[in-house]
Amino acid sequence: MSTTSTSATQVLFDAPGPRGRRRILLISIVSSLAILALIALGLWQFQRNGQLAADKWLPYLRRDYIAFLGKGLMGTLEATAVAAVIAFPFGLVLALGRISRARALSAISAVWIEFFRGIPMLLVVYAFLLALPAYGVNLPRFWMLVVPMILVSSASTAEVFRAGIGAVDRGQDEASAAIGLSRGQTMRYVILPQAVRLVLPSLILALVSLLKDSTLGFVVSFNELQFQGKTMVSITRFLVQTYVVVSVIYIVLNFLLTKAAGLLERRMRRRAAEGGGRSR
Amino acid sequence: MIRFDHVGKTYPGGTTAVEDFSLTIDSHASVVLVGTSGSGKTTLMRMVNRMVDPTSGRVLIDDEDVAGVDPVKLRRSIGYVMQASGLLPHRTVAENVATVPLLEGVSRRRSRSRALALLEMVGLDHRLGDRYPSQLSGGQQQRVGVARALASDPNILLMDEPFGAVDPIVRAELQKELLRLQSELGKTILFVTHDIDEAFLIGEQVVILRPGGEIAQQGTPAEILADPADDFVESFVGSGVGKRALHVDEVSGQQVVLDAGDRPVGVLREGSRS
Ligand SMILES: Nc1ncnc2c1ncn2[C@@H]1O[C@H](COP(=O)(O)OP(=O)(O)OP(=O)(O)O)[C@@H](O)[C@H]1O
Ligand SMILES: [Mg+2]
Repeated sequence: MSTTSTSATQVLFDAPGPRGRRRILLISIVSSLAILALIALGLWQFQRNGQLAADKWLPYLRRDYIAFLGKGLMGTLEATAVAAVIAFPFGLVLALGRISRARALSAISAVWIEFFRGIPMLLVVYAFLLALPAYGVNLPRFWMLVVPMILVSSASTAEVFRAGIGAVDRGQDEASAAIGLSRGQTMRYVILPQAVRLVLPSLILALVSLLKDSTLGFVVSFNELQFQGKTMVSITRFLVQTYVVVSVIYIVLNFLLTKAAGLLERRMRRRAAEGGGRSR
Repeated sequence: MIRFDHVGKTYPGGTTAVEDFSLTIDSHASVVLVGTSGSGKTTLMRMVNRMVDPTSGRVLIDDEDVAGVDPVKLRRSIGYVMQASGLLPHRTVAENVATVPLLEGVSRRRSRSRALALLEMVGLDHRLGDRYPSQLSGGQQQRVGVARALASDPNILLMDEPFGAVDPIVRAELQKELLRLQSELGKTILFVTHDIDEAFLIGEQVVILRPGGEIAQQGTPAEILADPADDFVESFVGSGVGKRALHVDEVSGQQVVLDAGDRPVGVLREGSRS
Protein backbone atom coordinates (compact mmCIF):
# COMPACT_ATOMS: atom_id res chain seq x y z
CA MET A 1 0.00 0.00 0.00
CA SER A 2 2.51 2.60 1.08
CA THR A 3 5.35 3.39 -1.26
CA THR A 4 7.85 2.88 1.51
CA SER A 5 6.93 -0.76 1.95
CA THR A 6 7.46 -1.52 -1.72
CA SER A 7 10.89 0.04 -1.78
CA ALA A 8 11.63 -1.69 1.51
CA THR A 9 11.17 -5.07 -0.14
CA GLN A 10 13.80 -4.12 -2.67
CA VAL A 11 16.16 -3.39 0.14
CA LEU A 12 15.28 -6.44 2.19
CA PHE A 13 15.79 -9.00 -0.55
CA ASP A 14 19.27 -9.32 -1.95
CA ALA A 15 19.63 -9.12 -5.68
CA PRO A 16 20.13 -12.72 -6.84
CA GLY A 17 23.74 -13.79 -7.47
CA PRO A 18 24.97 -15.52 -10.66
CA ARG A 19 23.77 -18.97 -9.52
CA GLY A 20 20.36 -17.61 -8.49
CA ARG A 21 20.07 -15.75 -11.76
CA ARG A 22 20.83 -18.92 -13.73
CA ARG A 23 18.20 -20.83 -11.78
CA ILE A 24 15.63 -18.10 -12.38
CA LEU A 25 16.45 -18.18 -16.09
CA LEU A 26 16.06 -21.94 -16.18
CA ILE A 27 12.69 -21.85 -14.42
CA SER A 28 11.51 -19.12 -16.78
CA ILE A 29 12.48 -21.14 -19.83
CA VAL A 30 10.88 -24.34 -18.57
CA SER A 31 7.61 -22.66 -17.60
CA SER A 32 7.47 -20.73 -20.89
CA LEU A 33 7.94 -24.00 -22.77
CA ALA A 34 5.19 -25.62 -20.70
CA ILE A 35 2.78 -22.80 -21.47
CA LEU A 36 3.65 -22.92 -25.17
CA ALA A 37 3.08 -26.68 -25.13
CA LEU A 38 -0.35 -26.22 -23.57
CA ILE A 39 -1.30 -23.62 -26.14
CA ALA A 40 -0.03 -25.89 -28.92
CA LEU A 41 -2.07 -28.76 -27.51
CA GLY A 42 -5.18 -26.60 -27.47
CA LEU A 43 -4.55 -25.39 -30.98
CA TRP A 44 -3.99 -28.95 -32.13
CA GLN A 45 -7.30 -29.98 -30.59
CA PHE A 46 -9.05 -27.08 -32.33
CA GLN A 47 -7.31 -28.01 -35.55
CA ARG A 48 -8.52 -31.60 -35.30
CA ASN A 49 -12.08 -30.40 -34.79
CA GLY A 50 -11.81 -27.90 -37.60
CA GLN A 51 -12.09 -24.90 -35.28
CA LEU A 52 -9.13 -23.15 -36.86
CA ALA A 53 -10.70 -23.02 -40.30
CA ALA A 54 -10.41 -19.56 -41.76
CA ASP A 55 -14.12 -19.27 -42.45
CA LYS A 56 -14.76 -19.56 -38.74
CA TRP A 57 -12.42 -16.66 -37.89
CA LEU A 58 -12.56 -14.25 -40.77
CA PRO A 59 -16.13 -13.11 -39.99
CA TYR A 60 -14.74 -11.33 -36.93
CA LEU A 61 -13.26 -8.78 -39.29
CA ARG A 62 -16.68 -8.09 -40.79
CA ARG A 63 -18.21 -4.76 -39.98
CA ASP A 64 -21.43 -6.20 -38.53
CA TYR A 65 -19.53 -8.58 -36.24
CA ILE A 66 -17.31 -5.74 -35.04
CA ALA A 67 -20.33 -3.51 -34.54
CA PHE A 68 -22.11 -6.20 -32.56
CA LEU A 69 -19.21 -6.85 -30.20
CA GLY A 70 -18.34 -3.14 -30.21
CA LYS A 71 -21.76 -2.39 -28.81
CA GLY A 72 -21.03 -4.86 -26.03
CA LEU A 73 -17.67 -3.27 -25.40
CA MET A 74 -19.29 0.15 -25.13
CA GLY A 75 -21.82 -1.28 -22.67
CA THR A 76 -19.03 -2.76 -20.56
CA LEU A 77 -17.01 0.45 -20.56
CA GLU A 78 -20.05 2.55 -19.79
CA ALA A 79 -21.15 0.36 -16.89
CA THR A 80 -17.61 0.29 -15.49
CA ALA A 81 -17.09 4.02 -15.86
CA VAL A 82 -20.43 5.02 -14.36
CA ALA A 83 -20.00 2.56 -11.50
CA ALA A 84 -16.49 3.84 -10.77
CA VAL A 85 -17.46 7.51 -10.89
CA ILE A 86 -20.12 6.89 -8.28
CA ALA A 87 -18.53 4.08 -6.27
CA PHE A 88 -15.15 5.70 -5.60
CA PRO A 89 -16.40 8.92 -4.03
CA PHE A 90 -19.01 6.89 -2.16
CA GLY A 91 -16.26 4.58 -0.95
CA LEU A 92 -14.40 7.61 0.36
CA VAL A 93 -17.50 8.77 2.20
CA LEU A 94 -17.91 5.30 3.72
CA ALA A 95 -14.25 5.31 4.81
CA LEU A 96 -14.66 8.72 6.44
CA GLY A 97 -17.80 7.43 8.13
CA ARG A 98 -15.99 4.42 9.44
CA ILE A 99 -13.14 6.42 10.98
CA SER A 100 -15.49 9.12 12.26
CA ARG A 101 -15.55 9.84 15.98
CA ALA A 102 -19.33 9.61 15.96
CA ARG A 103 -19.87 6.09 17.26
CA ALA A 104 -23.20 5.45 15.55
CA LEU A 105 -21.99 6.67 12.17
CA SER A 106 -18.84 4.61 12.46
CA ALA A 107 -20.77 1.46 13.40
CA ILE A 108 -23.28 1.86 10.57
CA SER A 109 -20.51 2.42 8.05
CA ALA A 110 -18.59 -0.60 9.32
CA VAL A 111 -21.60 -2.89 9.06
CA TRP A 112 -22.46 -1.57 5.59
CA ILE A 113 -18.89 -2.05 4.38
CA GLU A 114 -18.51 -5.55 5.80
CA PHE A 115 -21.89 -6.62 4.45
CA PHE A 116 -21.22 -5.60 0.86
CA ARG A 117 -17.63 -6.74 1.01
CA GLY A 118 -18.68 -10.18 2.14
CA ILE A 119 -21.66 -10.86 -0.09
CA PRO A 120 -21.15 -12.28 -3.60
CA MET A 121 -22.17 -9.70 -6.17
CA LEU A 122 -24.36 -12.20 -7.96
CA LEU A 123 -26.68 -12.24 -4.94
CA VAL A 124 -26.95 -8.48 -5.00
CA VAL A 125 -27.78 -8.59 -8.69
CA TYR A 126 -30.47 -11.21 -8.02
CA ALA A 127 -31.89 -9.00 -5.31
CA PHE A 128 -32.32 -6.19 -7.81
CA LEU A 129 -33.59 -8.53 -10.51
CA LEU A 130 -35.98 -10.71 -8.52
CA ALA A 131 -36.66 -9.38 -5.03
CA LEU A 132 -37.03 -5.64 -5.48
CA PRO A 133 -39.52 -5.78 -8.39
CA ALA A 134 -41.85 -7.63 -6.01
CA TYR A 135 -41.92 -4.40 -3.99
CA GLY A 136 -42.55 -2.32 -7.06
CA VAL A 137 -38.94 -1.19 -7.53
CA ASN A 138 -38.17 -1.61 -11.21
CA LEU A 139 -34.87 -0.28 -12.45
CA PRO A 140 -33.72 -0.12 -16.05
CA ARG A 141 -31.35 -2.99 -16.94
CA PHE A 142 -28.32 -0.75 -16.93
CA TRP A 143 -28.94 0.26 -13.32
CA MET A 144 -29.87 -3.27 -12.29
CA LEU A 145 -26.27 -4.09 -13.11
CA VAL A 146 -24.57 -0.84 -12.13
CA VAL A 147 -26.19 -0.32 -8.72
CA PRO A 148 -24.94 -3.69 -7.41
CA MET A 149 -21.54 -2.89 -8.90
CA ILE A 150 -21.52 0.39 -6.99
CA LEU A 151 -22.62 -1.23 -3.73
CA VAL A 152 -19.95 -3.91 -3.85
CA SER A 153 -17.13 -1.78 -5.22
CA SER A 154 -17.70 1.15 -2.86
CA ALA A 155 -17.40 -1.22 0.08
CA SER A 156 -14.04 -2.52 -1.02
CA THR A 157 -12.69 0.88 -2.07
CA ALA A 158 -13.78 2.20 1.32
CA GLU A 159 -11.24 -0.13 2.85
CA VAL A 160 -8.63 0.98 0.33
CA PHE A 161 -9.19 4.61 1.31
CA ARG A 162 -9.14 3.76 4.99
CA ALA A 163 -5.79 2.04 4.61
CA GLY A 164 -4.50 5.05 2.67
CA ILE A 165 -5.61 7.46 5.37
CA GLY A 166 -3.93 5.25 7.95
CA ALA A 167 -0.71 5.24 5.94
CA VAL A 168 -0.30 9.03 6.04
CA ASP A 169 2.41 10.03 8.49
CA ARG A 170 0.96 10.70 11.96
CA GLY A 171 3.22 13.73 12.36
CA GLN A 172 1.08 15.44 9.74
CA ASP A 173 -1.85 15.45 12.14
CA GLU A 174 0.26 17.08 14.78
CA ALA A 175 1.78 19.63 12.42
CA SER A 176 -1.67 20.58 11.17
CA ALA A 177 -3.02 20.99 14.68
CA ALA A 178 -0.02 23.12 15.62
CA ILE A 179 -0.61 25.64 12.84
CA GLY A 180 -4.27 25.86 13.71
CA LEU A 181 -6.17 23.64 11.30
CA SER A 182 -9.41 22.18 12.59
CA ARG A 183 -9.95 18.43 12.39
CA GLY A 184 -12.04 18.80 9.28
CA GLN A 185 -9.51 21.08 7.60
CA THR A 186 -6.71 18.69 8.49
CA MET A 187 -8.58 15.85 6.82
CA ARG A 188 -9.47 17.90 3.78
CA TYR A 189 -6.28 19.79 3.09
CA VAL A 190 -3.62 17.54 4.56
CA ILE A 191 -4.59 13.90 5.04
CA LEU A 192 -6.90 13.22 2.09
CA PRO A 193 -4.70 14.69 -0.66
CA GLN A 194 -1.84 12.51 0.53
CA ALA A 195 -4.01 9.44 1.09
CA VAL A 196 -5.61 9.63 -2.35
CA ARG A 197 -2.19 9.84 -3.95
CA LEU A 198 -1.10 6.78 -2.01
CA VAL A 199 -4.07 4.68 -3.10
CA LEU A 200 -4.24 5.76 -6.74
CA PRO A 201 -2.64 2.52 -8.03
CA SER A 202 -5.04 0.45 -5.92
CA LEU A 203 -7.97 2.42 -7.32
CA ILE A 204 -6.92 1.54 -10.87
CA LEU A 205 -6.84 -2.09 -9.84
CA ALA A 206 -10.34 -1.64 -8.44
CA LEU A 207 -11.30 -0.63 -11.98
CA VAL A 208 -10.11 -4.04 -13.16
CA SER A 209 -12.43 -5.82 -10.76
CA LEU A 210 -15.29 -3.51 -11.72
CA LEU A 211 -14.69 -4.45 -15.34
CA LYS A 212 -14.91 -8.10 -14.43
CA ASP A 213 -17.98 -7.53 -12.24
CA SER A 214 -19.75 -6.01 -15.24
CA THR A 215 -19.81 -9.47 -16.86
CA LEU A 216 -22.69 -10.24 -14.52
CA GLY A 217 -24.67 -8.08 -16.92
CA PHE A 218 -25.79 -11.31 -18.62
CA VAL A 219 -27.97 -12.02 -15.56
CA VAL A 220 -30.03 -8.92 -16.16
CA SER A 221 -29.67 -9.10 -19.96
CA PHE A 222 -27.76 -5.85 -20.18
CA ASN A 223 -25.84 -5.53 -23.42
CA GLU A 224 -22.31 -5.66 -22.10
CA LEU A 225 -19.50 -7.42 -23.89
CA GLN A 226 -19.96 -10.91 -22.50
CA PHE A 227 -23.73 -10.84 -22.99
CA GLN A 228 -23.26 -9.72 -26.58
CA GLY A 229 -20.81 -12.60 -26.99
CA LYS A 230 -23.36 -15.03 -25.64
CA THR A 231 -26.01 -13.72 -28.01
CA MET A 232 -23.57 -13.92 -30.89
CA VAL A 233 -22.85 -17.57 -30.10
CA SER A 234 -26.54 -18.42 -30.18
CA ILE A 235 -26.82 -16.80 -33.61
CA THR A 236 -23.57 -17.84 -35.28
CA ARG A 237 -22.79 -21.08 -33.38
CA PHE A 238 -19.14 -19.94 -33.28
CA LEU A 239 -18.72 -20.82 -29.60
CA VAL A 240 -14.96 -21.20 -29.34
CA GLN A 241 -14.13 -18.33 -31.66
CA THR A 242 -16.49 -15.84 -30.02
CA TYR A 243 -15.28 -16.52 -26.51
CA VAL A 244 -11.65 -16.40 -27.58
CA VAL A 245 -12.20 -12.97 -29.15
CA VAL A 246 -14.18 -11.73 -26.15
CA SER A 247 -11.54 -13.03 -23.73
CA VAL A 248 -8.77 -11.34 -25.66
CA ILE A 249 -10.60 -8.04 -25.45
CA TYR A 250 -11.01 -8.38 -21.67
CA ILE A 251 -7.41 -9.42 -21.21
CA VAL A 252 -6.10 -6.51 -23.26
CA LEU A 253 -8.26 -4.03 -21.34
CA ASN A 254 -7.22 -5.34 -17.95
CA PHE A 255 -3.62 -5.60 -19.01
CA LEU A 256 -3.62 -1.94 -19.98
CA LEU A 257 -5.20 -0.94 -16.67
CA THR A 258 -2.77 -3.01 -14.61
CA LYS A 259 0.09 -1.58 -16.63
CA ALA A 260 -1.14 1.95 -15.93
CA ALA A 261 -1.34 1.18 -12.21
CA GLY A 262 2.20 -0.18 -12.21
CA LEU A 263 3.48 2.83 -14.09
CA LEU A 264 1.83 5.19 -11.66
CA GLU A 265 3.18 3.34 -8.66
CA ARG A 266 6.70 3.34 -10.06
CA ARG A 267 6.48 7.05 -10.75
CA MET A 268 5.32 7.68 -7.19
CA ARG A 269 8.08 5.53 -5.76
CA ARG A 270 10.65 7.38 -7.83
CA ARG A 271 9.32 10.68 -6.63
CA ALA A 272 9.45 9.54 -3.04
CA ALA A 273 13.03 8.41 -3.57
CA GLU A 274 14.08 11.67 -5.19
CA GLY A 275 13.07 13.57 -2.11
CA GLY A 276 15.80 11.91 -0.05
CA GLY A 277 15.25 14.15 2.96
CA ARG A 278 11.51 13.79 3.13
CA SER A 279 9.86 16.18 5.52
CA ARG A 280 8.78 14.13 8.47
CA MET B 1 3.05 37.82 28.72
CA ILE B 2 2.65 34.10 29.31
CA ARG B 3 2.00 32.85 32.81
CA PHE B 4 2.02 29.24 33.97
CA ASP B 5 0.04 29.14 37.20
CA HIS B 6 0.66 25.93 39.14
CA VAL B 7 0.05 23.75 36.08
CA GLY B 8 0.25 19.97 36.19
CA LYS B 9 -0.34 17.28 33.60
CA THR B 10 -1.06 13.63 34.13
CA TYR B 11 -1.61 11.79 30.84
CA PRO B 12 -4.48 9.31 30.47
CA GLY B 13 -2.01 6.44 30.76
CA GLY B 14 -1.08 7.63 34.24
CA THR B 15 2.27 9.29 33.46
CA THR B 16 2.67 12.51 35.36
CA ALA B 17 4.71 14.65 32.99
CA VAL B 18 4.43 17.86 35.01
CA GLU B 19 3.70 18.05 38.74
CA ASP B 20 3.38 21.70 39.68
CA PHE B 21 4.97 24.32 37.49
CA SER B 22 4.81 28.07 37.69
CA LEU B 23 6.63 30.56 35.48
CA THR B 24 6.04 34.00 34.08
CA ILE B 25 7.41 34.96 30.68
CA ASP B 26 7.47 38.66 29.97
CA SER B 27 6.39 40.00 26.60
CA HIS B 28 9.21 40.22 24.05
CA ALA B 29 11.42 38.03 26.22
CA SER B 30 13.02 34.85 25.01
CA VAL B 31 12.90 32.06 27.54
CA VAL B 32 14.43 28.64 27.09
CA LEU B 33 13.24 25.51 28.83
CA VAL B 34 16.09 23.06 29.02
CA GLY B 35 16.12 19.60 30.56
CA THR B 36 16.75 15.97 29.91
CA SER B 37 14.49 13.87 27.71
CA GLY B 38 11.13 13.27 29.30
CA SER B 39 11.33 16.18 31.72
CA GLY B 40 8.06 17.58 30.41
CA LYS B 41 9.34 20.37 28.17
CA THR B 42 7.11 19.59 25.21
CA THR B 43 4.16 19.05 27.49
CA LEU B 44 4.62 22.49 29.05
CA MET B 45 5.07 24.20 25.72
CA ARG B 46 1.94 22.62 24.28
CA MET B 47 -0.13 23.88 27.17
CA VAL B 48 0.34 27.37 25.76
CA ASN B 49 -1.45 26.64 22.49
CA ARG B 50 -3.76 23.99 23.96
CA MET B 51 -2.33 21.03 22.11
CA VAL B 52 -2.18 19.75 25.69
CA ASP B 53 -4.71 20.79 28.31
CA PRO B 54 -3.32 20.88 31.86
CA THR B 55 -4.98 18.56 34.36
CA SER B 56 -4.43 21.16 37.07
CA GLY B 57 -3.63 24.85 37.14
CA ARG B 58 -3.97 27.44 34.39
CA VAL B 59 -2.01 28.99 31.58
CA LEU B 60 -2.66 32.66 30.98
CA ILE B 61 -1.74 34.80 28.01
CA ASP B 62 -1.96 38.49 28.84
CA ASP B 63 -4.01 37.52 31.89
CA GLU B 64 -6.57 35.55 29.88
CA ASP B 65 -6.93 31.85 30.69
CA VAL B 66 -6.29 29.96 27.45
CA ALA B 67 -8.76 27.27 28.52
CA GLY B 68 -11.50 29.69 27.49
CA VAL B 69 -10.10 30.36 24.02
CA ASP B 70 -11.08 28.32 20.97
CA PRO B 71 -8.04 26.08 20.26
CA VAL B 72 -8.03 26.69 16.51
CA LYS B 73 -8.17 30.46 16.97
CA LEU B 74 -5.56 30.32 19.68
CA ARG B 75 -3.14 28.28 17.59
CA ARG B 76 -3.47 30.60 14.64
CA SER B 77 -2.37 33.47 16.85
CA ILE B 78 0.71 31.60 18.06
CA GLY B 79 3.62 30.48 15.91
CA TYR B 80 4.81 26.93 16.44
CA VAL B 81 8.00 25.39 15.10
CA MET B 82 8.60 21.71 15.69
CA GLN B 83 11.66 19.50 15.47
CA ALA B 84 10.78 17.75 12.24
CA SER B 85 9.63 20.77 10.28
CA GLY B 86 6.17 19.23 9.88
CA LEU B 87 5.79 20.67 6.41
CA LEU B 88 3.06 19.33 4.14
CA PRO B 89 4.86 17.21 1.49
CA HIS B 90 2.18 17.68 -1.17
CA ARG B 91 2.30 21.46 -1.16
CA THR B 92 5.02 23.77 -2.37
CA VAL B 93 7.14 25.68 0.10
CA ALA B 94 5.27 28.91 -0.58
CA GLU B 95 1.91 27.19 -0.15
CA ASN B 96 3.13 25.70 3.10
CA VAL B 97 4.05 29.09 4.45
CA ALA B 98 0.76 30.58 3.27
CA THR B 99 -1.50 27.76 4.51
CA VAL B 100 -3.09 29.64 7.38
CA PRO B 101 -3.33 33.07 5.71
CA LEU B 102 -5.12 31.35 2.80
CA LEU B 103 -7.57 29.70 5.17
CA GLU B 104 -8.14 33.04 6.86
CA GLY B 105 -9.29 34.40 3.51
CA VAL B 106 -6.24 36.39 2.44
CA SER B 107 -6.17 36.48 -1.37
CA ARG B 108 -3.91 34.07 -3.25
CA ARG B 109 -1.71 36.82 -4.66
CA ARG B 110 -1.23 38.61 -1.38
CA SER B 111 -0.54 35.51 0.67
CA ARG B 112 1.96 34.33 -1.92
CA SER B 113 3.91 37.54 -2.00
CA ARG B 114 3.89 37.60 1.79
CA ALA B 115 5.13 34.00 1.86
CA LEU B 116 7.99 34.87 -0.47
CA ALA B 117 8.90 37.87 1.68
CA LEU B 118 8.90 35.62 4.75
CA LEU B 119 11.22 33.18 3.02
CA GLU B 120 13.68 36.00 2.36
CA MET B 121 13.32 37.07 5.95
CA VAL B 122 14.42 33.67 7.26
CA GLY B 123 17.36 33.71 4.87
CA LEU B 124 16.01 31.65 1.96
CA ASP B 125 16.00 32.58 -1.71
CA HIS B 126 12.39 33.26 -2.67
CA ARG B 127 12.85 31.03 -5.71
CA LEU B 128 12.74 28.07 -3.35
CA GLY B 129 9.07 28.92 -2.89
CA ASP B 130 8.03 26.79 -5.83
CA ARG B 131 9.88 23.69 -4.70
CA TYR B 132 8.41 20.88 -2.65
CA PRO B 133 9.68 20.37 0.91
CA SER B 134 11.40 17.11 -0.03
CA GLN B 135 13.58 19.08 -2.44
CA LEU B 136 15.09 21.13 0.38
CA SER B 137 17.84 20.30 2.84
CA GLY B 138 16.99 19.71 6.48
CA GLY B 139 18.25 23.14 7.47
CA GLN B 140 16.25 24.81 4.71
CA GLN B 141 13.13 22.92 5.79
CA GLN B 142 13.59 24.20 9.32
CA ARG B 143 13.82 27.76 8.01
CA VAL B 144 10.58 27.21 6.12
CA GLY B 145 9.07 25.96 9.38
CA VAL B 146 10.07 29.24 11.03
CA ALA B 147 8.69 31.25 8.11
CA ARG B 148 5.39 29.40 8.38
CA ALA B 149 5.21 30.05 12.10
CA LEU B 150 5.67 33.77 11.39
CA ALA B 151 3.05 33.83 8.63
CA SER B 152 0.18 35.12 10.75
CA ASP B 153 2.49 37.61 12.48
CA PRO B 154 1.98 36.09 15.93
CA ASN B 155 3.13 37.76 19.12
CA ILE B 156 4.23 34.46 20.57
CA LEU B 157 6.59 31.93 19.05
CA LEU B 158 6.83 28.42 20.45
CA MET B 159 9.87 26.47 19.30
CA ASP B 160 10.24 22.82 20.27
CA GLU B 161 13.82 21.69 19.61
CA PRO B 162 13.57 23.37 16.22
CA PHE B 163 17.22 22.78 15.38
CA GLY B 164 17.58 19.33 16.92
CA ALA B 165 17.64 17.40 13.65
CA VAL B 166 20.30 19.31 11.73
CA ASP B 167 24.08 19.03 11.84
CA PRO B 168 26.07 21.27 14.20
CA ILE B 169 27.26 23.69 11.54
CA VAL B 170 23.81 24.29 10.14
CA ARG B 171 22.47 24.47 13.67
CA ALA B 172 24.90 27.24 14.56
CA GLU B 173 23.80 29.11 11.44
CA LEU B 174 20.14 28.73 12.30
CA GLN B 175 20.74 29.87 15.87
CA LYS B 176 22.49 33.00 14.66
CA GLU B 177 19.66 33.63 12.24
CA LEU B 178 17.09 33.27 15.01
CA LEU B 179 18.94 35.79 17.18
CA ARG B 180 18.98 38.23 14.29
CA LEU B 181 15.26 37.68 13.64
CA GLN B 182 14.48 38.16 17.29
CA SER B 183 16.39 41.44 17.45
CA GLU B 184 14.26 42.63 14.50
CA LEU B 185 10.89 41.24 15.51
CA GLY B 186 10.91 41.20 19.31
CA LYS B 187 8.49 38.28 19.68
CA THR B 188 7.82 36.52 22.94
CA ILE B 189 9.73 33.29 22.44
CA LEU B 190 9.39 30.08 24.41
CA PHE B 191 12.12 27.77 23.22
CA VAL B 192 12.70 24.15 24.22
CA THR B 193 15.97 22.29 23.93
CA HIS B 194 18.06 19.75 25.74
CA ASP B 195 21.28 21.39 24.56
CA ILE B 196 22.56 23.66 27.31
CA ASP B 197 24.83 25.59 24.92
CA GLU B 198 21.86 26.37 22.74
CA ALA B 199 19.88 27.40 25.81
CA PHE B 200 22.57 29.85 26.92
CA LEU B 201 22.87 31.25 23.42
CA ILE B 202 19.19 31.79 22.72
CA GLY B 203 17.71 32.50 26.14
CA GLU B 204 17.66 35.79 27.97
CA GLN B 205 16.20 33.65 30.70
CA VAL B 206 16.97 29.96 31.03
CA VAL B 207 14.85 27.52 33.00
CA ILE B 208 16.51 24.22 33.87
CA LEU B 209 14.04 21.41 34.45
CA ARG B 210 14.25 18.22 36.40
CA PRO B 211 11.99 15.29 35.45
CA GLY B 212 8.37 16.05 36.32
CA GLY B 213 8.74 19.62 35.13
CA GLU B 214 10.31 20.70 38.40
CA ILE B 215 12.38 23.87 38.10
CA ALA B 216 15.95 23.21 39.20
CA GLN B 217 17.06 26.76 38.55
CA GLN B 218 16.05 29.75 36.52
CA GLY B 219 17.92 32.90 35.67
CA THR B 220 20.10 34.53 33.07
CA PRO B 221 22.86 32.33 31.63
CA ALA B 222 25.44 34.34 33.57
CA GLU B 223 23.58 33.89 36.85
CA ILE B 224 23.29 30.16 36.36
CA LEU B 225 26.93 29.77 35.41
CA ALA B 226 28.07 31.95 38.27
CA ASP B 227 26.00 30.28 40.89
CA PRO B 228 24.58 26.86 40.04
CA ALA B 229 21.82 26.04 42.49
CA ASP B 230 22.91 22.47 43.15
CA ASP B 231 24.87 19.48 41.86
CA PHE B 232 22.18 18.66 39.30
CA VAL B 233 22.46 22.08 37.69
CA GLU B 234 26.21 22.07 37.97
CA SER B 235 26.54 18.77 36.18
CA PHE B 236 23.90 19.81 33.65
CA VAL B 237 25.65 23.02 32.66
CA GLY B 238 29.02 21.32 33.02
CA SER B 239 30.46 24.22 34.99
CA GLY B 240 32.62 21.89 37.06
CA VAL B 241 34.33 20.31 34.10
CA GLY B 242 35.52 20.67 30.53
CA LYS B 243 35.23 23.77 28.47
CA ARG B 244 33.21 25.69 31.03
CA ALA B 245 35.64 25.29 33.94
CA LEU B 246 37.92 28.09 32.89
CA HIS B 247 40.73 29.62 34.87
CA VAL B 248 43.10 32.50 34.28
CA ASP B 249 46.84 32.34 34.09
CA GLU B 250 49.35 35.07 33.48
CA VAL B 251 51.59 34.62 30.47
CA SER B 252 54.05 37.40 29.53
CA GLY B 253 51.92 40.08 31.15
CA GLN B 254 48.65 38.92 29.53
CA GLN B 255 45.73 37.26 31.32
CA VAL B 256 45.22 34.03 29.38
CA VAL B 257 42.07 31.96 29.90
CA LEU B 258 42.59 28.22 30.13
CA ASP B 259 40.09 25.37 30.27
CA ALA B 260 40.08 22.42 32.67
CA GLY B 261 42.73 20.68 30.56
CA ASP B 262 44.97 23.79 30.68
CA ARG B 263 44.37 24.45 26.99
CA PRO B 264 44.27 28.17 26.20
CA VAL B 265 40.87 29.31 24.92
CA GLY B 266 41.32 33.09 24.97
CA VAL B 267 42.73 36.23 26.42
CA LEU B 268 41.11 38.21 29.21
CA ARG B 269 40.42 41.88 28.53
CA GLU B 270 39.06 44.28 31.12
CA GLY B 271 35.42 45.14 30.39
CA SER B 272 35.71 44.06 26.78
CA ARG B 273 32.15 43.95 25.58
CA SER B 274 32.17 44.95 22.00
N1 LIG C 1 0.54 11.92 24.65
C1 LIG C 1 1.15 11.35 25.72
N2 LIG C 1 0.55 10.31 26.36
C2 LIG C 1 1.14 9.74 27.43
N3 LIG C 1 2.31 10.12 27.93
C3 LIG C 1 2.96 11.14 27.35
C4 LIG C 1 2.40 11.81 26.21
N4 LIG C 1 3.26 12.78 25.82
C5 LIG C 1 4.30 12.72 26.69
N5 LIG C 1 4.11 11.75 27.62
C6 LIG C 1 5.03 11.42 28.72
O1 LIG C 1 5.22 12.57 29.52
C7 LIG C 1 6.57 12.71 29.86
C8 LIG C 1 7.11 14.05 29.40
O2 LIG C 1 7.07 14.08 28.00
P1 LIG C 1 7.50 15.35 27.15
O3 LIG C 1 7.27 15.02 25.74
O4 LIG C 1 6.83 16.55 27.68
O5 LIG C 1 9.06 15.39 27.47
P2 LIG C 1 10.20 16.29 26.81
O6 LIG C 1 10.85 17.00 27.92
O7 LIG C 1 9.65 17.10 25.72
O8 LIG C 1 11.18 15.18 26.26
P3 LIG C 1 12.08 15.20 24.92
O9 LIG C 1 13.29 16.00 25.23
O10 LIG C 1 12.41 13.76 24.71
O11 LIG C 1 11.25 15.76 23.82
C9 LIG C 1 7.31 11.52 29.29
O12 LIG C 1 7.45 10.55 30.29
C10 LIG C 1 6.39 11.04 28.20
O13 LIG C 1 6.50 9.64 28.06
MG1 LIG D 1 9.92 17.09 23.59
